[in-house]
Amino acid sequence: MPIKYFFLVSRQGKLRLCKWYTTLSPKQKQSTIKHVSQLVLARKPKQCNFIEHNDCKVVYRKYASLFFIAAIDLDDNELVMLEIIHRYVEVLDRFFGNVCELDLIFNFQRAYFVLDEMIMAGEMQESSKKTVLRCLAQMDETEALENAERGWGDINLEGVARTALLSVQELRQAFSR
Amino acid sequence: MKGLTVFIADLRKCRSHEDEEKRVNKELANIRTKFKEPSINGYNRKKYVCKLLYMSLLGYEVNFGHREAVELVDSTKYSEKQVGYLAVSLLMEDESEYLRAVVRALRRDMHDGSEWIVCLALNAISNIGSREMAEVLTSDIVVQLLSPAASMFIKKKAALCLLRLVRRFPEAVKAHQWVGRITPYLGHRDIGVTQSVASLMTALAQQYPEETRKAASFAVRRLKSLVIDNEYTLDYVYYKVPAPWLQIKLLRLLQYYPAPESSEARSTLLSILRHIIDVSQDVPRELQQMNAQYSILFEAINLGIHLDIDQGLMQECAVLLGRFITSRETNVRYLGLETMSHLAAYIDRLDSIKAYQGVIVQSLRDRDISVRRRALDLLYSMCDVENAKAIVSELLRHMAMADVALREEMALKVAILTEKFATEYGWYVDVMMRLVSLAGDHMGDEVWHRIVQVILGNEELQVYACKISLQTLKAPVCHESAFKVSAYVLGEFGHLIANAADSAPIDQLKALQSKMSSTSHSARAVALTTVGKFINLFPEIKTLCLRVLDRYRGALDAELQQRACEYYALGTLEGDELLPTVFEEMPPFPERQSALMSRLLKREANTEDQRTWVVGGREINRERRGVMSGAASNDSREAVEASAMPVPAASQTGGPAGGSTAAPKADAPAASSASELPTDPSVAKSMRNYARLLWENDGILFDGEEIQVGVMAQYKPPGGRIGVFLGNRATAPLYNISITARAADGTQLDIQPAAGQETEQIPESLMPLAQARVFFDVQCKHVFGAAPTLHIGYTVAGSAPTVSELQLPVTVGHFMDPVTISVADFFARWKQLGDSGIAESQHVLPSAFLTKDAAGLEWLRSVVGGMGFALIQGADPEPNNIVGVGIATTQAGRFGCLVRVEPKPAHGLTRVTLRATNAEVARSIGSNIKMVFESK
Repeated sequence: MPIKYFFLVSRQGKLRLCKWYTTLSPKQKQSTIKHVSQLVLARKPKQCNFIEHNDCKVVYRKYASLFFIAAIDLDDNELVMLEIIHRYVEVLDRFFGNVCELDLIFNFQRAYFVLDEMIMAGEMQESSKKTVLRCLAQMDETEALENAERGWGDINLEGVARTALLSVQELRQAFSR
Repeated sequence: MKGLTVFIADLRKCRSHEDEEKRVNKELANIRTKFKEPSINGYNRKKYVCKLLYMSLLGYEVNFGHREAVELVDSTKYSEKQVGYLAVSLLMEDESEYLRAVVRALRRDMHDGSEWIVCLALNAISNIGSREMAEVLTSDIVVQLLSPAASMFIKKKAALCLLRLVRRFPEAVKAHQWVGRITPYLGHRDIGVTQSVASLMTALAQQYPEETRKAASFAVRRLKSLVIDNEYTLDYVYYKVPAPWLQIKLLRLLQYYPAPESSEARSTLLSILRHIIDVSQDVPRELQQMNAQYSILFEAINLGIHLDIDQGLMQECAVLLGRFITSRETNVRYLGLETMSHLAAYIDRLDSIKAYQGVIVQSLRDRDISVRRRALDLLYSMCDVENAKAIVSELLRHMAMADVALREEMALKVAILTEKFATEYGWYVDVMMRLVSLAGDHMGDEVWHRIVQVILGNEELQVYACKISLQTLKAPVCHESAFKVSAYVLGEFGHLIANAADSAPIDQLKALQSKMSSTSHSARAVALTTVGKFINLFPEIKTLCLRVLDRYRGALDAELQQRACEYYALGTLEGDELLPTVFEEMPPFPERQSALMSRLLKREANTEDQRTWVVGGREINRERRGVMSGAASNDSREAVEASAMPVPAASQTGGPAGGSTAAPKADAPAASSASELPTDPSVAKSMRNYARLLWENDGILFDGEEIQVGVMAQYKPPGGRIGVFLGNRATAPLYNISITARAADGTQLDIQPAAGQETEQIPESLMPLAQARVFFDVQCKHVFGAAPTLHIGYTVAGSAPTVSELQLPVTVGHFMDPVTISVADFFARWKQLGDSGIAESQHVLPSAFLTKDAAGLEWLRSVVGGMGFALIQGADPEPNNIVGVGIATTQAGRFGCLVRVEPKPAHGLTRVTLRATNAEVARSIGSNIKMVFESK
């Protein structure tokens, strides 16, 4: 059950991350993102997390101000896709520490790296949080060694609201295990 | 990277889009100049490439920086390489000139000493996946996957990397070479590795069902350890559910294989399913746990349906699903409906689902279009003769309120259901007329065309259809599609009601005319033809008709004008022959797949994975299943048949046990032939030889260490002459040679040594490399089942006499001559024979050779032709399909035989159907074809 594409879009329709697991022309990619974003942003909170678009099923989930959107085949398992998204958010949360949209904006490249450790070729590659985080920590360490200057901690982000993607309750659940 | 952070912060501060664009352009110019500096270091290059990536994410076009990305890839620093590969995957197109350099770098990185670098390379390959990568790097990736030295990280990534390449370039990766070695990894102790390999196997299972056969038993074992034995590590537990992703992968993988044969494996599988269903009986409190739990349940139900081994279990599922479709959670409702429609497509008794019909109809009004869609699918799947009227009328009722996006599909489904389950003619016509009136704007011409086709084909329908048509035209409002149907029907059959009250020709014409002015050009064109037909049907209103046509002779629309002018000319022509000929009644429409069905199925044809089922009733799914997994599930039966098949076998007789050193090796297969046919190479070879002679007249029949036997045959049905050649391949002369042939039943087949001049005496001895010949005359007295046997006896100096027994390739199929008939005749006979239903033989045969190239199809054609069928060109709408006709001649009579071969290269399967005027002929030729396939 390959994921065809996976992208993050803010409530305002701004693209935050975009990953293609099928090969399409830039034009097709753009129009797909545009249409699917519109479809998803127009959905109401109580509706289900699935909607059909062309030949695929779009599975999405909203975390704070961000929509995580994935497209899968028509007969693929939607629920488990939903949980792939959730696991990705959990890993991001642990990796960035209480992750919010801003982290993903300023560290978009790292969000890609995290994704690459969890999903490859449109399939779940590793579902163990521990394994993924160990791998990412190693990556960070290597970069730190190579790179004296790092992080964005010295940048003034005052006045910017930070809304964590996971609620306190969800966090507690995620950490309790 | 501070510079990057500052840049992003800058962009975020921009108040308007123009400001942002200005800032972006400034940065682009800056980066361009920076890239030109020769002294730029790796860190800065990385920073600028990241900025470019960010801008492209915002939607700005970035068309440079590719060279710098490649330079980063070549860097020795991990973080620079990482960004380099990311940029390559995000910015470059498949045809980029820089990809070659990337492939070079990948090749190097694949062999790097650090596993982190290898992982980066693997990630990059799966992200880009170009053709050159598939061609150049596949073997390296396979090595990494199989290498005992490679870490779990590398193995996982290697498997998924292969998956990407397999999906995109199946022919370039040559999966058949390595797929067998990868299967055992399904049993790997690391869950991550198993999961990745399971994903890969799922794709390969569809292409290589044979090679991956063992995967099923691995998957069952692994599932058992997860579900029943609780063997897993804690990091893979997701909200109390053990490795849900792996469970789902394995449950899905098993859906590509037939139900296991051994009762032990079946009961293991059943207990796994049972366990999953039991666990799902309580509703988990947490959302994540519920999702994970239910996603497994739904997949398990899908597998249960596929295996089709326990209807009781499935009825239980129906009850469970009934609870879901009333759930407050929209997701659960949605999935409950979806899974239930899958269930409805297979389950034997629909009662347990029908119990929820009311709830399902309610779901058509759900707030969420996704749920409404699933409800429609389910109603379509669960429809049968009993509830058709209720469901169709509900759907019609919803049509008016339904979303525009859903209406076409709804209309198609109503049309199909009505046609399929109509028990009264009146009902069909009423429903369809209502349907076109309600939804006419939202559906293609297929629907009204289909109505006309059905009416043309059913005489009983025509009078009623005429009445309704006239009513429709007289009604105050009439939808365009309804108008077209009515106009067409009256034009064809108006005379049938011409004597009824208010239905006189003049009334019909007036009704038509009254609506004509308010319709579109295409509808008017249909109406003009009707008027033309009226001239022919009702001479009494000819003048009126001509007046109508005359008015349109000056129409601006070319089509209308042309029709009016031509019909007018026809109507005013001297003589009375042309008009009736032109407007002769339309013949019934030939039966073929309904255009409605094709249209509906077209929607679903475009997915990467083969769907294991389609929305719809049982028949359509059974049919699909027959093609997809038929080969595999037939295997057990065929294995039994195989042992009974005429297999050329040689046996040793006589000689003392100790003195058999010189006996032909071919005696071994005779002993083992019943149990392990395909594994023994010499038997497989003689089978191949025999099979070849089923469609070619001349060739080698047996190739042993001491002797070689060839056959040449000429047939003049019902007779024929077979030449048997015996060659000495031993180093010593052969003595006491005897060559005899015996028919299995002398009353059916007569086989005698040929008399006359051509015959030659069998020599006393045969020197090494020399050859002896014998001719036999055969006469086919009646249809026969078993091939005659050939006994070849000889002695090699110093050892016991040997007798080899071979099956002689003479079957009833050999007494067949090609016959050329027209396409129409073919179909008439095909249908006629099909209706009788007794003399049909059908096989679904694995045919891996088809996938390679067009040569496979060519070969198939020559096989069918070689078997004595005349190929009928253009008879089958599917160009790859082969249909042929032959007549088998025996002394007792002649038997026609029709064949249809449907190769499905995508599935690696071929369906062969034979219909003959004699059951034994069909069976015998069918098993010949089967054998030819099996030994290809």
